[in-house]
Parts: sequence; structure tokens; C-alpha cells
Amino acid sequence: MIELSHLTKVYGDTAVVDNVDMTIEAGTITVIVGTSGSGKSTLLRMVNRLVEPTAGRVFIDGENVSTMPAHQLRRSIGYAIQNHGLFPHWTVARNIATVPMLLGWERAKVAARVEELMELFQLDHAQFAGRYPHELSGGQQQRVGVARAMAAKPTLLLMDEPFGALDPIIRAKAQADLKAIQRRTGTTILLVTHDMAEAVHLGDRIAVMDAGRLRQYAPAADILARPADAFVDDLIGTADRPFRYLTLGSLGSAVEPGEADGTPLPADASLYEGLGALLWSGRRTAPVVDAAGAPLGRVSLGGIANKAVRPK
Amino acid sequence: MTRYLTRPGFILRFVVFAALLAFLLVPDRFAGLLAPLTSNGAPAIYNQGSLIDLTLSHLFTVALSTFAAAVVAVGLAIFVTRPAGAEFLALSRAVVNIGQTFPPVAVLALSVPAMGFGEAPTRTALFLYGLLPIFENTLTGLSTLPPAVVETASAMGMTGRQRLLKVELPLALPLIVEGIRLSAVIGLATATIGSTVAAKGLGEVIIAGLLSNNLAFIVQGGVITGILAVLISDGFQLVARRATRRRGAPVAAQPVDPNAA
Repeated sequence: MIELSHLTKVYGDTAVVDNVDMTIEAGTITVIVGTSGSGKSTLLRMVNRLVEPTAGRVFIDGENVSTMPAHQLRRSIGYAIQNHGLFPHWTVARNIATVPMLLGWERAKVAARVEELMELFQLDHAQFAGRYPHELSGGQQQRVGVARAMAAKPTLLLMDEPFGALDPIIRAKAQADLKAIQRRTGTTILLVTHDMAEAVHLGDRIAVMDAGRLRQYAPAADILARPADAFVDDLIGTADRPFRYLTLGSLGSAVEPGEADGTPLPADASLYEGLGALLWSGRRTAPVVDAAGAPLGRVSLGGIANKAVRPK
Repeated sequence: MTRYLTRPGFILRFVVFAALLAFLLVPDRFAGLLAPLTSNGAPAIYNQGSLIDLTLSHLFTVALSTFAAAVVAVGLAIFVTRPAGAEFLALSRAVVNIGQTFPPVAVLALSVPAMGFGEAPTRTALFLYGLLPIFENTLTGLSTLPPAVVETASAMGMTGRQRLLKVELPLALPLIVEGIRLSAVIGLATATIGSTVAAKGLGEVIIAGLLSNNLAFIVQGGVITGILAVLISDGFQLVARRATRRRGAPVAAQPVDPNAA
């Protein structure tokens, strides 16, 4: 668990981060979203002390981070950024091994961990281990960056716009992969983005920041349904709101009894994907099946539309 | 590397090096070649000392001063790019600039009363003269590293020292080597004037030629110095290119040549 207590950073006369209180549950993905200059990156960087707070404290599992030597603290926290920051003079394998080497792991253990991570991030070890970062595509570089951040099995991973430099298709895949990996490893992730769609897609909880202040901190569904103020409302986008809301629920939640024609839809797809499939195929209803292919019933345009109504 | 060995440029340099070596080892065989440049039966090959000894001592003087300049200049550039030394940046730039602005002949002249004749004044002048190119290039190399890379090095938990040794210096290496190359080449040429204060070197041959009006001496002293400069410069460039290629990306900034107008 991470606790930010009255955290403040002042540069000159400006409070870039202004008295932020936040508690982040272990094993969850928390997304800090805001416009540029909102202080979200500064907030993130105070957790591993790349920025020292002017006032306030950060506790990780009850321990005040300012009491540990900065370099030791950072070795226990994963860190991945937009332009990956890979060391250009080191191979992929050496880059991923950075923190384990700093921690003095045995060579064999480091090599095994590198291989394990490359497999997890779908990078063929034989093909990529010896390559230099400039010989990789943007998506591969980004995966190496995240693999490096996770190499020493940190319980906390900080990510600053990790998908910002990727094109939309690769970004969607990278987001899905990160979510799957997080569910498997149980790593606590604190991620910064300016993209509300990314925040809703990835975040268990979302923290909205503006001008250094925390405007709202709540589960994604609450942010969409009950934005705390006009700024949060703006950031969500009035027209997009029902559709963002639909991305949070699964088709399984809108199943009604009955039968329908055409290609069945999987129950674990989002309501948003289901709506898209119905509209595009010109159907008003479609059958729904579970992961094993057994029929569960059907979904209808009306049923999905009911799920997009603003909750009371 | 093997590709480099078969390039025409490399073969040419190898031939030039072999010819230089042959001339230094058995200069008398080349007397016929240089004889047309002499008159009144004067000797065609320098005969007041061994050419190879003079060349080696010339090279030794340059190597020693360049090495000392590299240690001091790189050390200084590292110091002023650390938080603790940042305030000395302007001062050290000024001091090193003075070293370069001071004409080597003036340093020689001023050093003789203090150190006497011989190698010491020459080495001092070359050392002072060699500081600036290495300092400026190292400074450029260390201060133009990609910010994301330097920041991640810290974020991964490297200490300041680990970051310097594992990330910053290796990435700045191509520019540092470039600076040392410039100093060595400038030093090689400048060292010839050391012979005016009795330092052993190839300047001796040129000065002897000038005094006795022997064109053959002047040419052999000049050509040996010139070829050495070209070969040494090439060697350093090869090292710098390999260092650059390993890090993949193009060098962050163009090397600084303080002598370029």
C-alpha cells in the first residue's frame, strides 16, 4: 500500500503539486490523469524520489521513503517512461538485467530472469537478446523498457506515459498486455497519462489532477458517472461519456434470455465492443456464448443502451 | 572490423605506414631519392642523430603531454558536470581557454627560465595547449546526453558514480576520443618547435635544414611529422567510429574543434 500524505512540491512561487493526499491499494492499477502541467509526473516522481517533496511524505507499506537511501529505494521500484530511456550502448539482455545486476544477483539467476521476461513480453530470446535498442521497433523498445522495469520483481511499478510514443494499434495491444501481466503478477502499478480513454481502460482507480491539485480520486465507473466538478466532466468529454462507460462493463452483464441469429459474441467482450459489433452487422440482437462456446442467451441494442444510462 | 581492413583507404594507409617505417629504419637507402634536393654535395639524410630515435622521442613527448592533458581535462569536465562542481564551469572554461590562447612559442620562452632547456618546457606547452579540445569535447559529450537515458539511470537505482561509469562516460566516449585526437594532432605539429629549446624531436631535423639551407632535411622532417599526424588521426577516428557504432545512435553533437575558424 502506498500513502501520499499532504504531498507538495513548490518551484519558485508555483505549487506544482499542491497538498495531495492519496492511498493506493496494493495489487491494483491506479492511473493519474491530467493535462500537461497538471503536476501528475511530478507527483509520480516524488514516489521514487527523483523529485524531493517540498512538504508532505510518501509511505510505502508504512515506511517513509525519505528515510531510505534514494538509490536503494529506486532499486525496489520499477520505473518505465514514454521514451523508454533504454541504454543505447547496452544490448536488450543487458538493459533488462540492469537492476538485478545492481542488486548483485548471481549471473545464472540474472540470465534466467532475462529469459523469463523476454518470453513474458513476447520477445524471442535467440533473436533479440543480443540486439541494441536502435535495432528494435518502437513497440519492441517499449516492451523492453517495461521488462527492464519489472526485472527485479518490484512490488510497485511507476509508469510515466509508457505508451505515449506508440501508434494506436500497438498501444492497444501494449495496454492489454500490461493489464494481463499485472493480473498475473499482482504488481501495484501507478501510471500517469493524459489520455482519459487509457485511464478508463487500465485503471482500477483514477486520480484526476489539475493545476497541482487532486480533483477526484475514485473507481473508473464513479469518475464517469459522477464527475466531481466541471474540469473532470470536461476531461471525460460529454459526447464520449456513455461509450467510455460501456467499455467498463462486459457483455455478460447485459445477457437476456432468448435466441438470436448470426455470429455469436463472447461474454467477456466489453459492452462497447458488443455495441460496435451489433451496429456494424446491422443486427438488433446477437447470441452470446461463454469462453467454452456454450450459449448464454442474447444481447440486444436496447439492453446495451440501458447500460449506458447515467447511473442515479 | 574485417570490412574496414579491406577498404582501399586502409590499404593506402598501411602502405604509407610501411614506407615510413622503412625510411626510419634504413634511411640511407632513400638517399638517392632526396639527393636532388641538396646542393654542393651536402648529405641528403639527416646525419646528426638517428631519425628513428628522434621520431620515437617526438612521439613520446606528444604521448606524455596528451595523456596528461586527457587525464586533467576529462577529470575537470567530469567535475564541472556534477552538481558539486557546476559553479566552477565558467571558471574552468576561462582557464582552459587561456591555455589554448597562449601561443606555444610564448609558453616555451617563458618556461625556459623556470625549467631550463630540454623536454620539460615543450611538454608543459603541449600539455597546456592540449587541454582545451579534450575539455570542450568531454563537456559537450557529458552535457548533451539524452535526458531520458540519464534520468532512467538514476531511476533504476544507480548511484552517481555508477551512472557516470556505466552510462555517461561510455556514451560520451566518441566525443572524448575526438578531443584527444585533436590534441594529439595539434601536439604532434607543435612539438617540432620544441627543438628550439633543445627538446629531442623531429623539429631538430627541420631546424638543421633551415640553418644549413638543406632542403632535403626540411622535407624529411616535415614529411615524417605530417605522415605521423595523419596516421595517428586516422587511428583515433577509427576508435571513435567503433565507439559510435556500438551505441547505435548518431553522436549527440558535432565534435568541437577549437581551431576551426
